[in-house]
Amino acid sequence: MTAFQSTLGEEEGIAEELAENQRAISIAEFFEKNKHMLGFDSGARGLVTAVKEAVDNALDAAEESGILPDIYVEIEESGDYYKLIVEDNGPGLTKDSLPKVFGKLLYGSRFHKREQSRGQQGIGISAAVLYSQLTSGKPAKITSRTQGSNEAQYFELIIDTDENEPEISVDRTTTWDRPHGTRIELEMEGNMRARQQLHDYIKHTAVVNPHARLELREPQAHFKFERATDQLPEETEEIRPHPHGVELGTVIKMLSATDSHSVSGFLQEEFTRVGKKTAESVIDEFRDRHYGREMAWTPPGPHESADVAAAVTEATVNKGATATEAFATAIADAVADSDRVAHNELVAIVDSSADAVEDEHGTTFGDTVRENAAEAAWAELAGLVGDDEDEDPADETDADPDDHSRLVTDLYELADGATSTRKDDEVVHAFAVRLAGKFEDSEDTRHRFTHKTLVEFVDRAAELTEEYDDVAFGDTARENVVDAIWSVMVTVPDDPPRVRDLSGDRDATSDLVDGMRATDIMAPPTRCLSPISDDLIEAGLKKEFEADFYAAATRDAEVSGGDPFIVEAGIAYGGDLEAEGSANVMRFANRVPLVYQRGACATTDVVKSIGWRNYGLDQPGGSGVPNGPVVIMIHVASTNVPFTSESKDAVANVPEIEDEIELAIREAARELKSYLNKRRSMQKRRKKQNVLGKILPEMATKVAEVTGRAEPDIDDAIARIMNNVLVERRLEENGDGQTVEVVVENHSSTNESLAVTDIVSAEPSNLSDGATVVEMDGEWFVKWDADVSSGDEAVLTYEVSTDAAFDIDVDGVEAEKLTVTDTETNQ
Amino acid sequence: MSADNEQQAREQLIDLAAQFYDQFELGEIPHMDVPTRTKSNIEYDEDLDVWVYGDRTSTRSANSVRGARKLLKAVYTIEFLSDQLEQDRSSTLRELYYLSESWDNENAQFNDQDESNQLVEDLEIVSGATREDFHMRPEESGATIMGPLFLREQTRRGEREIHCQEDVGEGGYQIPNNPDTIEFLDSDAEFILCVETGGMRDRLVENGFDEEYGALIVHLKGQPARATRRITKRLHDELDIPVTVFADGDPWSYRIYASVAYGSIKSAHLSEYLATPEAQYIGIQPADIVEYDLPTDPLSDSDINALESELEDPRFQTDYWEEQIELQLDIGKKAEQQALASRGLDFVTETYLPERLEAMGVL
Repeated sequence: MTAFQSTLGEEEGIAEELAENQRAISIAEFFEKNKHMLGFDSGARGLVTAVKEAVDNALDAAEESGILPDIYVEIEESGDYYKLIVEDNGPGLTKDSLPKVFGKLLYGSRFHKREQSRGQQGIGISAAVLYSQLTSGKPAKITSRTQGSNEAQYFELIIDTDENEPEISVDRTTTWDRPHGTRIELEMEGNMRARQQLHDYIKHTAVVNPHARLELREPQAHFKFERATDQLPEETEEIRPHPHGVELGTVIKMLSATDSHSVSGFLQEEFTRVGKKTAESVIDEFRDRHYGREMAWTPPGPHESADVAAAVTEATVNKGATATEAFATAIADAVADSDRVAHNELVAIVDSSADAVEDEHGTTFGDTVRENAAEAAWAELAGLVGDDEDEDPADETDADPDDHSRLVTDLYELADGATSTRKDDEVVHAFAVRLAGKFEDSEDTRHRFTHKTLVEFVDRAAELTEEYDDVAFGDTARENVVDAIWSVMVTVPDDPPRVRDLSGDRDATSDLVDGMRATDIMAPPTRCLSPISDDLIEAGLKKEFEADFYAAATRDAEVSGGDPFIVEAGIAYGGDLEAEGSANVMRFANRVPLVYQRGACATTDVVKSIGWRNYGLDQPGGSGVPNGPVVIMIHVASTNVPFTSESKDAVANVPEIEDEIELAIREAARELKSYLNKRRSMQKRRKKQNVLGKILPEMATKVAEVTGRAEPDIDDAIARIMNNVLVERRLEENGDGQTVEVVVENHSSTNESLAVTDIVSAEPSNLSDGATVVEMDGEWFVKWDADVSSGDEAVLTYEVSTDAAFDIDVDGVEAEKLTVTDTETNQ
Repeated sequence: MSADNEQQAREQLIDLAAQFYDQFELGEIPHMDVPTRTKSNIEYDEDLDVWVYGDRTSTRSANSVRGARKLLKAVYTIEFLSDQLEQDRSSTLRELYYLSESWDNENAQFNDQDESNQLVEDLEIVSGATREDFHMRPEESGATIMGPLFLREQTRRGEREIHCQEDVGEGGYQIPNNPDTIEFLDSDAEFILCVETGGMRDRLVENGFDEEYGALIVHLKGQPARATRRITKRLHDELDIPVTVFADGDPWSYRIYASVAYGSIKSAHLSEYLATPEAQYIGIQPADIVEYDLPTDPLSDSDINALESELEDPRFQTDYWEEQIELQLDIGKKAEQQALASRGLDFVTETYLPERLEAMGVL
């Protein structure tokens, strides 16, 4: 720089010379140099990111057209490069749009939409194309066939990074076996060191997209993930922005673009969840900010010298004594009837009184008369009397302290009510006097102030009080006083500016945005979101993980920055899950698995912050990711997921989202806890059963030995000890056949519902009530549903020939709680 | 008579096993109820003047793993005892504990001797028999008797007739574990003198106190074993002579007296059979400490606590004991029997005992 500076002035045209070197850079060129921002920072990662972008695109495309996605991913070695092929069964792309989708960055249909989708910016797939052409120098080969067309279109293209435009080298029709869909083939530098991440990505995608069929073939592995459901995710709808989430610049842009003329119309037209009433509330908030509020004073009491009627009478001339009196009385009465009166309210009172008196007396009260009357009455109310109007020195002496005390008394009441009771009356009074002074001294005799001005008044009065009375008048006290006064102040009825005036007025627009944020507005509708739903999360987890337990929770929608979002969580536990090491945390945003930057993600932070020991999991040190055979899955669905970077690897730490993540996880974890508790008690029961199952027969044997009798039957005793449900068969010869009794004794403390199936080798007859029989391949299935309350028993009876064999099966009771004793049959 | 007892005991044990059998058959959870053996469940029997168990019972039930193990052990023990009775053999409590190691079932083996001792006590209570009826012996060697008593003992090697002065050495006659095998043939004894410590017993024997006063000197050896208490009761009942207890002058010795006279907590189910409510306390009394100016030790905190709890103990709710205990708390001192030696070796036999026994109306 110094070199240039030294030559400044001596040589002309430096700036011009410099300017020659300055030129716009295309977005494509920018990303060429900043690949890492898009997740293409290494060969290993580049391959995963490319797969991810292509698959996300394919899923979005298929879903948007109501097609169940069927996606094939292939990676093959091709000399020094890897060849990536992704095929989908989406709707295909038209000949015009195809090159742009793949060959132009920031081209997409979703950036401007408030709607949940995987891709958002329109960078992903074209960035993959760019990466491929940068590393291998080969064009992307794309085949696409739209539904119903006979032939497919084949392109080879590269991105012209200078222009950010596709450059097509081959464009011809071809044949393709898929009836519709798109196939992209990219060759790129890369390696398979991130194989695990790749597999995770595909597997996790399968978990959250149970409606999709996915296939991955890479040099060392080949997986297929079949569908768990044929139900497509509910279609999302685009929504208008929510007033709580828009920024000033956006609003300014919207104001200049809208067709509405009034602010109210603008709000209702352009935003979601804004109706007439909400618009009014927003406008009121806007008025408070833009125009300020007007102070409302209490009407003068009978003991006060302020006399509204007299002031009005004096100010009204040439209207005849009766009419004047009627006018003055009407105003004074209306004022006296109000709790407090602000300037604009007084004007309204004067107007209505004037109209009423006009009707009655036929005297016309013109604008000037009305204005004079209002001004005179306001002077009385707001203690403005005495300065110039009342010249009578006798009145002056009387009036002065009284006039002051009009406002002082009012403000004293408010301040006294708002400050702590420990504050000395004297101090509060002195403060009220000083505050009243600020009101009296203000230029705006209507006493119309913004919140900010009011704060200044109160601060100034408080500072003076601190200074002169040597007492503390802290921030809390000041805030309370401001709140108390602000709450009695009245929103002014002034019309808000027209939209066209507003759009050029940055300050006013800012007031409007503030007003929008301050207004309570219903959360945005959630039809723009497509959560997976707790049922399908469970189904997805069940599909991909062999566990003993699954739970899932879907939260209600919340709003963050104007964008609605939904958090879902799922937990799988036990079974074949890896018991060693910490839990597997799966993160998803808008159904896309997040594979990288686990440590930077809000979801991971929340998982770590939860006290998992409370939920029965091992958590060394009481914080961090829990240990054990657990999969924790979190899905954040939003119209705009706040990622930490363009590569969309981690959800940013937004407090509202973090809270919901925590609640969702805890909801699912509570189910896990009760499952684990139950499992533990079942384990205990099993242990007890194992030990007692050994001891009691031994005891029975010994008892039989000592007493010299046959061994006793101990099943009933054991069932009772174990609080078990005992299913027992009793047989009794009955002529040629036998009577079978299946007895269910419920020794547990809860009511039990059992489904008993007794498979009999001969045809049973005379079945007791509630039982049915079905014959299948020479066997008879006796089905019987028994509801047995605690301590009760139920019996199934039937008759069958003596040579019948039986095989009983009982469902509906945990194995640990069930004791089935099937007596020896003849077979 | 004793064979009858044993037969009866055996039947009662088998009845208990049969009870478990029936419980199984009825689909009930096998269980047995025994009185709760804690201090709070000990009641004074006004009629018998002894301490017996109250109404509270504990249930040993197979409802839990612990309870089931207990009952299994009980059944194994029942089998063992009934076999032992059938073969007319005996064993000690400790042998039972070790013997359980040889049982084929690990769950039936005892974890420690307390467990086996407690089980035998349970069986005594539930069957109404005594462990002597089961042929179970305690470990500690029985105490001794010295005095003018001629008796016949049923030993494993036949009947023996023994005179407890003439046929015994300095050590005296060894009381067998089951004193009910003894028959008293003849006695010149005037009274029974139960002595707490070995030192004092030897002093009395050396000084010929038993011969001079016709005393049956029973050595208690601290807290008396069941056999010692049983023979004391039998001597009292069958020879109709008074029983006196001579112990140290501290709260623990008062309890030795109480267990001779009223029974102990652990064997309250046998109080009727073991306790001698007519037993009288000779001393050392706190009053003796003052009167004879005996060398003393100060009371420790635990002594004071023990004395205070004795004041609450219904067994000591007599004017005599209240007066003595309060006196002791007042002087804050205790004295051993041997402290009498401070007045010379013969003081106890020539002065103290004759004076006390006379005062008690024994002599």
